[in-house]
Amino acid sequence: MSPVATSVSSSTSLNTSLTHPLLEVRNLSVHFPFRRGGLLNAQRGFIRAVDGVSFQVAEGETLGIVGESGCGKSTTARAIVKLVRPTAGEVYLQGERIDHLSDLEMLPHRQNLQMIFQDPFASLNPRMTIGNIITEPMNIFKLYERTQRKLEAMRLMDLVGLNPRFLNRYPHEFSGGQRQRIGIARALAVQPRLIICDEPVSALDVSIQAQVINLLMELQEKLGLAYVFIAHDLAVVRHIAHRVGVMYLGRLVETAPKSALYTNPRHPYTKALLSAAPIPDPVAERERQRIELQGEVPSPEKIYAGCSFADRCPIAEASCRETLPVLQGGAHKVACFKADS
Amino acid sequence: MEEQKLLQVDDLRVEFRTDEGIVRAVNGVSFDLAAGETLGIVGESGSGKSVTNLAMLGLIPQPPGRISSGTALYRGEDLLTANAKRLSQIRGRHIAMIFQDPMTALNPFLTVEEQLTEVTRLHLGHSHDEAIAHAIKMLEQVGITGAEKRVFDYPHQFSGGMRQRVMIALALSCNPDILIADEPSTALDVTIQAQILDLMKQLQKDHGTAIIMITHDLGVVANICHRVLVMYGGKIVERADVDSLFANPRHPYTLGLLESVPRWDADLSKKLKVVPGQPPDLAHLPAGCSFYPRCSYREVRCEQSVPPAFERPEGGDFACFIDVDSVKPVEERT
Repeated sequence: MSPVATSVSSSTSLNTSLTHPLLEVRNLSVHFPFRRGGLLNAQRGFIRAVDGVSFQVAEGETLGIVGESGCGKSTTARAIVKLVRPTAGEVYLQGERIDHLSDLEMLPHRQNLQMIFQDPFASLNPRMTIGNIITEPMNIFKLYERTQRKLEAMRLMDLVGLNPRFLNRYPHEFSGGQRQRIGIARALAVQPRLIICDEPVSALDVSIQAQVINLLMELQEKLGLAYVFIAHDLAVVRHIAHRVGVMYLGRLVETAPKSALYTNPRHPYTKALLSAAPIPDPVAERERQRIELQGEVPSPEKIYAGCSFADRCPIAEASCRETLPVLQGGAHKVACFKADS
Repeated sequence: MEEQKLLQVDDLRVEFRTDEGIVRAVNGVSFDLAAGETLGIVGESGSGKSVTNLAMLGLIPQPPGRISSGTALYRGEDLLTANAKRLSQIRGRHIAMIFQDPMTALNPFLTVEEQLTEVTRLHLGHSHDEAIAHAIKMLEQVGITGAEKRVFDYPHQFSGGMRQRVMIALALSCNPDILIADEPSTALDVTIQAQILDLMKQLQKDHGTAIIMITHDLGVVANICHRVLVMYGGKIVERADVDSLFANPRHPYTLGLLESVPRWDADLSKKLKVVPGQPPDLAHLPAGCSFYPRCSYREVRCEQSVPPAFERPEGGDFACFIDVDSVKPVEERT
C-alpha cells in the first residue's frame, strides 16, 4: 500500500499542478434523506444541505466561505475531504477526480488534503500524547525515517508556536488556542498543499483568535499552502481570505475577490449579512444603517422553484420566486436577477 | 448622601475548591448599576464575568463554591446574605436572567405557556386566565407572530432565535428592574443577533429595565452598552463609558483586546495585533498584576504588586501602573 501511496501523490503534484487548479468543485450536492411520520406511512424527503456548489481554489490561495448556520458551509468542507459522501457533483484535487474514490484509493490524496476542525477539544484523541498525535500521519504515510519522526514533530511544534518540550504531554494539559495549534501541526505533518479549515477560530477567545489567524497566514507565506476557510465571522474571513464565497441555504449566492465583496457586495443577502455584523466601535455602530432581514433562515427541506432567499429579500419581485438565479459573472459572480452591477 | 443605586456590588470574592487547589474566580469586584442603563461586562472565558452575576443571584453551588467576602445590595438589601426564600422572591420578579443557550434554559417537557404562566402566577398572583393573556401579550411584545397559537407549543418547535425571544419574554414577564443577559446572542447567527439586540434596546426603552450584558463580543458591547467593565483574571481591570473606553483604552489588556479583534472596516495591510500568551490559571494567580505575563507594557513593579484603581480623566478607572500612551510596548523598544 505504501509504495503506491507515495508514488501517486508525488507524480500528480509534479505533472498537473501547473495546468489545473489545486481544487475544483463542480456542482457539488449533499442531500440527507429523512423520514417523517410512523414506521408504516413514513414519508421520505431530502434535506438539501448543499445544492449545486461550484468553485476553484488555486495554489497558495485562501478561499473563505461564509454563511449562517445551516447554510451548508461545513457540509461542503466535509464533502470535499469525504467525511460525508456527496450525492452528486465532482471534486478534483490537482486535476484528479477524488469524489468517487474508495477510502483506500483516497488515501494517497489525503497527503495533499488535510483538515482543521472547529472544536479543539473534540478533535484530538485525549489518550494520545501530542508527539503521537503529530507523528501518526507520518506513520500512516511512511514519511521520514522512524527515528526522524519525533524530531520532525518537534520542528512542527516549534513552527506553530508550541514549546517542543511538551511532546509527551496530553491534550487536556493545553488551553483551547494551544490545542488548535496542535491540530494545525498535525495537519502540517504530511506537508499538504491544501488545508480545509472548518471554523478554526470560532471556539477560541478573542485574544487567542488573532494568534491563530496570524499563525495560519504566516504558514501560508512560508509553505505556500492553500486554504478553504469556513467561517461565520465576516471580519475574520476578510483578514485571511483572498476570495470569498457567500452561501445561503446550500447554494453559493456570491463569490468575489475579497476587496470587491466587502466594498461592493451585490447580492442582497451579502449586503444584509455585512450590515448585521456588529462593529467594535460605538460611534460607527450608532451611525450605521442596518438592512433588517425579515424572519429567519427557512428549513432546508423546503423546495423552492425560484430563489430561496426571495421570502426574506427586501428587493424580491414575483419573478424571483419562479426561476432559479444562476451564479454568474466574471471574477465577481452573483446569483441574483436584481443584483446591481 | 449619594443617590442610592439600583444595584451596588462591593468587594465580591468567589472561590471554588478543586483538586488543583483553590480557584479564585472572582477577586474583589465592585461595581454599581443605575436604573435603566445597560452595563456591559466584557472578558474572556474564565475572567469571572458569569460567576460574578451567578453569585449575586445565589446560583453558585456551595460547596465547591464559596463567596468569601463582599456585599451585593439590591435597593439596599444584601443579596449575598438573603435567605433562600427571599432570593427566590427576588429572582424572576425583580432580577431576571437570560442565558446563552435558550434550549437548555427552557424546560423541554413543558409548553411555553406553562413556563410563562408559572412565573406570573407565582410572583404576580395572576389567575389562570390572566396569566395566559399576559403570556400571549409578552410573546407579542418580543415579536413572535401568531402568539395566541404559538404559546401552546413546546420549546423544540421554535428556532434558535425564536427560543431566545421566548427566554426574553419569560425574563421580562414580571417587569423586573434588572435583566442579566449572559451572552444572549452568542449562539445566534449575525442577522438574528441584530434582531435580538434591537429587541432588547426597544424593550429597555419601553420598560426602563436596567441590563447587565455579559459578553466577549466587543461588537455587541459597542452596539448596546452605555458603560463597560473589562474583566481579567477575576478582577475589573478597566471601567468607563462605552465611547471613551473604545476611543481611549487605558489598560493594556483593553488595548490589546481592541486591537486584536478583526474588524471588517480595518486596514488590511497591517497584521492583526495579538495579545501573546494564554489566559491566567485561576488556581495559581501571580502575586502582582494577573495580566503581567502577557503584557506588552510591563515593568518590574508589576510583577510584585497588584496595581490599584487609577481614575480616568473622563470618569471610570483602570488598574494599571503604566501610562500606555507615553510608554512604548516591549516589541517596539530597541
